[in-house]
Amino acid sequence: MELGFLDRPHGAGGVRVTGAALVDELGYSLGCDRMHPTGAPVLTAPPGDAPASFLTEAFRGQDDHALKFLHGTTTLAFVFQGGVVVAVDSRASMGQYIGSGSVRKIIEINPYLLGTMAGGAADCSFWERDLGRRCRLYELRNKERISVAAASKLLANTVYGYKGMGLSMGTMITGWDKTGPNLFYVDNDGTRLKGHKFSVGSGSTYAYGVLDQGYHWDLTVEDALELGRRSIFHATHRDAASGGFINVYHVKEDGWVNISHEDSGMTKYYEYKAQSAAVDSTAMES
Amino acid sequence: MSILEYNGGCVVAMAGKECVAIAADRRLGIQLQTLACDANRVFRMHDKLFLGLTGLMTDITSLHNSFDFKLNMYSMREGRLMSPQTFSSLVASTLYEKRFGPYFSEPVIAGLNKDNTPFLCAMDLLGAAAYADDFVVSGTCAESLFGTCETFYRPDLGPDDLFETISQAMLSALDRDCISGWGVTVHIITPEGVTAKSLKARMD
Amino acid sequence: MERGGFSFDNCVRNAMLESAGYQPPKARKTGTTICGVIFEGGVVLGADTRATSGNVVFEKNCEKIHYIAPNIYCCGAGTAADTENTTGLIASQLELHRLSTGRESRVITSLTMLKQMLFKYQGHVSAALVLGGVDLKGPHLYTVYPHGSSDSLPYVTMGSGSLAAMAVFEANYKDNLTEEEAKLLVKQAISAGIFNDLGSGGNVNLCVIKKGKTEVIKGYAQENPRKYRRPAGYSFPTGTTSVLESKFQRPVSEIAVVTEVVSESVSMET
Repeated sequence: MELGFLDRPHGAGGVRVTGAALVDELGYSLGCDRMHPTGAPVLTAPPGDAPASFLTEAFRGQDDHALKFLHGTTTLAFVFQGGVVVAVDSRASMGQYIGSGSVRKIIEINPYLLGTMAGGAADCSFWERDLGRRCRLYELRNKERISVAAASKLLANTVYGYKGMGLSMGTMITGWDKTGPNLFYVDNDGTRLKGHKFSVGSGSTYAYGVLDQGYHWDLTVEDALELGRRSIFHATHRDAASGGFINVYHVKEDGWVNISHEDSGMTKYYEYKAQSAAVDSTAMES
Repeated sequence: MSILEYNGGCVVAMAGKECVAIAADRRLGIQLQTLACDANRVFRMHDKLFLGLTGLMTDITSLHNSFDFKLNMYSMREGRLMSPQTFSSLVASTLYEKRFGPYFSEPVIAGLNKDNTPFLCAMDLLGAAAYADDFVVSGTCAESLFGTCETFYRPDLGPDDLFETISQAMLSALDRDCISGWGVTVHIITPEGVTAKSLKARMD
Repeated sequence: MERGGFSFDNCVRNAMLESAGYQPPKARKTGTTICGVIFEGGVVLGADTRATSGNVVFEKNCEKIHYIAPNIYCCGAGTAADTENTTGLIASQLELHRLSTGRESRVITSLTMLKQMLFKYQGHVSAALVLGGVDLKGPHLYTVYPHGSSDSLPYVTMGSGSLAAMAVFEANYKDNLTEEEAKLLVKQAISAGIFNDLGSGGNVNLCVIKKGKTEVIKGYAQENPRKYRRPAGYSFPTGTTSVLESKFQRPVSEIAVVTEVVSESVSMET
């Protein structure tokens, strides 16, 4: 195999057309027929002068959930002394109907990077999968892992190119690189924010309430994981569009670890209820 | 969004052999925000007559008060309890009176007739009664409830089996609806008395 | 205190809610096929049995042939509450009229009362009716439209499946049908509605009215029997459902017996 492309920095010109399908430098199909100068695949936009305004017009008047599939969601991530905690719910709703109760909203981009899913499920999974591919190419070209800042910027630049065309995603990109733990918020407006505490989705206000109250930089790993879990739990309890399972990941120096997958509305609710009942009864006794 | 879905909630009733059961969820919300998990939308009208109301909570309260009043007036005037059939006519005419400015509530009536045969009735918000001999549903997950009841229902169940059947039908349907759930109450009405049970349900 | 008639108490509130963006809920409709035909010495009325609420089949076996008088029946299409209450109102007025006059009700009387009421409400009471009966003048068949107009014809159809049903009538109707021919024709017309109109479905109900004899036949044709039911059914052993709390209450009438005590000294003097 010809590996010369590895020496070419940012070789965006390495795309070959074999037959009709578009393949990347390694000969893998990109699943679409054109490529953006940044190296991202290109979705076919409607022909015409202003595809963005055309799409806005075309989708106007349709049911809201036609384009906003996974809007009911609670996701959160925060950085603390022991790394990053990522916690999410698992409900996918279409209007008031629950489409699925076991969606995996934490996307494993690669062993060092995680993305979260809020907004359109298809948009998030597609673009974060694509982000994983481009991060791998970066690694092969540069002989080192991509930084979280760079990875999140790749995604932000891509979605910015489709601004106004109906992409729907509110995502957090997190991981551990040379600079340590990092957390970025990226959404379909093209917003990209660095921070150490984010929550995204319809239940985010409830999650922030618990998170802000319990957050501290010096939290132990165990307490931090429980804080993330609790925040999602309370959000699923109050927000009708969030629910199902609580998935928790911990990002450490040597990559992420899948910590837990627990039933929120049944197991956790009655567990927490029993705990607080026990606390109440000891308080009564003393 | 329809105003019937503003607060969320649903009711289902099922007929057994000399018994009926009526189940309702406990959520009171404002759209997607859950306010309370102890809402009542099933009301005891007398020993053998229960009324379930879904829809806008303010109208549920108004209607419940109004039916309590009308039922008390009737039993004082007549010196007897109102039969389920008569009560469903009362509910229907109360709702149809407001044909051009309706209450936003869809009632379910479950009871036992004088001979202890089951009586079931569901209405739309204008008071168009639909009588059934198997089950009736109402509320934000009516479609899901139709599905679970159609598969789970069997005729002539005793009180214990009826309880399990209606509970499983309710719990399964709630798993597919965002704005119903957060606890379930089931009333099983028999000639010997009424059993009220509170189920362990999903709280998300 | 209670004068009857419509109450408009909630209208201002409901208009406010609507302007705030909450769409008014859908009332249950009878997306319907109804029809009727005259035969030698009587009429046959027919209806399907589906009631819908939006896209949902709310009832699979509802009754759309309403009683007006022992010799007059009426099929209803449109908003379920409206057809039910409109026919019920006219039925009770006619009952009182019969008690007062001691004569059999005439079909034309019920027609006039129905159309006057519907005209008064200018189409807001959305009831589309097929009215049929036999009186001393013989068999009569009418359609009444929601705005209060009416037709008198030997064969009529109404509702969302009326086109399918009318196609059958136009193809097969002839004068001087026998009773059996008329029943078959009506059954075919309703079936056409059931199979070709999505708003109609279920079974075929018939009503045959002859001089001195009325017969309502429910399930004359079972067009949509349930295809499959799990033979064993689903049974949940006792204890399947976890219960947090259970309370049993005996009937209140057993616990306390309330009797009215009328005191001698307190007489009604107010």
